[in-house]
Amino acid sequence: MAREATLPLALAGDAAARRPGVVRRAWLVARRRPAAAAGAAVVLLYVGMALGAPWIAPFDPVRTDWSQIRKAPSRAHPFGTDDLGRDGFSRVVWGARISMQAGVFSILLAIVIGVPIGLVAGYYRGGLDQLIMRLTDAWLAFPFLILAIGLVTILGPSLTNATIAIGLGATPTYIRLTRGLVLATSAEDYVQSARALGAGDVRLMGRHILPNIVSAIVVQATVAIPTAIIAEAVLSFLGLGVQPPAPSWGTMLNTAQQFLEQAPWMAYWPGLAIFVLALSFNLAGDGLRDVLDPRG
Amino acid sequence: MTLLVISLIVFVGVRMIPGDPARVLAGTDADAAGLEEIREKYGLNEPWPVQYGRWLALAVRGDLGESIRTRQPVRQTVAAKLPITIELACLALLVAIGIAIPAGILAAVRRNTLWDVLASGVSLCGVSVPNFWLGIMLILLVSVRLGWLPASGFVPIADDPLGNVKRMLMPALVLGAGLAAVLMRQTRNAMIEVLSADYVRTARAKGLAQPAVVLRHALRNGLIPVVTILGLQMGALMSGAVVTEQIFVIPGFGRLIVEAVFTRDYPVVQGVVLITASAYVLINLLVDVSYTVLNPRIRIRGTADGA
Repeated sequence: MAREATLPLALAGDAAARRPGVVRRAWLVARRRPAAAAGAAVVLLYVGMALGAPWIAPFDPVRTDWSQIRKAPSRAHPFGTDDLGRDGFSRVVWGARISMQAGVFSILLAIVIGVPIGLVAGYYRGGLDQLIMRLTDAWLAFPFLILAIGLVTILGPSLTNATIAIGLGATPTYIRLTRGLVLATSAEDYVQSARALGAGDVRLMGRHILPNIVSAIVVQATVAIPTAIIAEAVLSFLGLGVQPPAPSWGTMLNTAQQFLEQAPWMAYWPGLAIFVLALSFNLAGDGLRDVLDPRG
Repeated sequence: MTLLVISLIVFVGVRMIPGDPARVLAGTDADAAGLEEIREKYGLNEPWPVQYGRWLALAVRGDLGESIRTRQPVRQTVAAKLPITIELACLALLVAIGIAIPAGILAAVRRNTLWDVLASGVSLCGVSVPNFWLGIMLILLVSVRLGWLPASGFVPIADDPLGNVKRMLMPALVLGAGLAAVLMRQTRNAMIEVLSADYVRTARAKGLAQPAVVLRHALRNGLIPVVTILGLQMGALMSGAVVTEQIFVIPGFGRLIVEAVFTRDYPVVQGVVLITASAYVLINLLVDVSYTVLNPRIRIRGTADGA
């Protein structure tokens, strides 16, 4: 897209005619791969649920009702109620907001930190690159959850800190990915010719290299976001993420585990919500790869 | 080099945890003099670099200090917990490989058939399902509803081998499921690539039967990327073990770290994280070495920048 913008108008029109646009390609992929389209639709549904939570949820997700403790699913409470008489359905709906926030913002953080570092490492190479990559190796040596547990312990448990921990855990992947892409792209003829024309480092990186690696980074994000969503649920489940009474799917499952025999419905829906969201993201991600990378 | 950086990160990180370990140790009714005495005893008064140097020097010799909470040597605590987690991890690995490799081969050989679609679909679900929810659902079905297996707990294998296996079966399945999903995808892709290679066609042209071609010629090379992924997935396996042990109340390494974090037991957190990270680095070194076994053509050049 960015490449077309730099072309003269007539040429750009030509290029658009020859290459189907992103929207058209998305439509073609959607028709060819209904599973991916369905995944994307479900993800959008969750986004709608997260944004519209105050209007969709019939009850206040944190309001307790002592007359409705651990009631089985009914017409008034389709997902049942929990140990404090809160409405399960409302809590699952509000939970979408927390999960989405954690998933999207943590990966954004990883991109904001990881991509520039990878860009610099891949572009300048040499000693700096070596240093960055050794540090990245050490960073990667911490299993994701162990790192997140450590960070959350240092920062204190909360949604923001869990998001930061997950984001920092995902950062090395982005450093490596970006560096690899930059190494490959720098060798391309158009980058070499731009350099020969006297383009500076910043212009080369920002104008010629970055636009060409964006799609790979976006595709990686669609793989990383469901992982981050599950990571948030895990941290909250362990008591290291979102704190009660906020309705996080992980926290809800933590409570549910204590009442498995008396109130199994408490465990069904939050987990199912995570599962369906992650599955849809993965399906949509496969489709997006085809849309953004017509060569692949 | 990598290990040194890891040890530094661990040390600095643990020191940044808010809360005073001396206070935790002394209890709420300790006076200032009591706190001071404890700080003196555990060297908490000295500057950070001194504390780090001393800790590292001891750690290299296998002495990781003693737990602030239980007063037991960290090495002893870890040594008691580690076999439990290793057993769990090995069983999970067995489950994962046992499912993933055959399923991956089947999907690759019968590409684009119902088998392939089925295997890929199950694998996609396996990647997407949060394993702690899978664990909870299994407990609900197998233990609460059917009453087939105990829901939680641990019995040492030496005391009661059958009881041990009974209690480890579900955790191993839960921990192995996610890994199986990843490995299956990888096996399928690798096998598809290998099966279209020239030497496989030659083997077929020689008139070799399908099983011989697939198992003897293709699998060996197809396994190389699978082994790489397996090494990289060890981190996920360790993370998964923490959660799995939490759900099934298994007194292993994972529960140890969660407990240590909540009680601010510095030496234990340090020791556990250091061991985990080192183990991960070493496993991946072994993975690199295993390439040469699987494929003698690969010889690692320049060993200067190893771990």
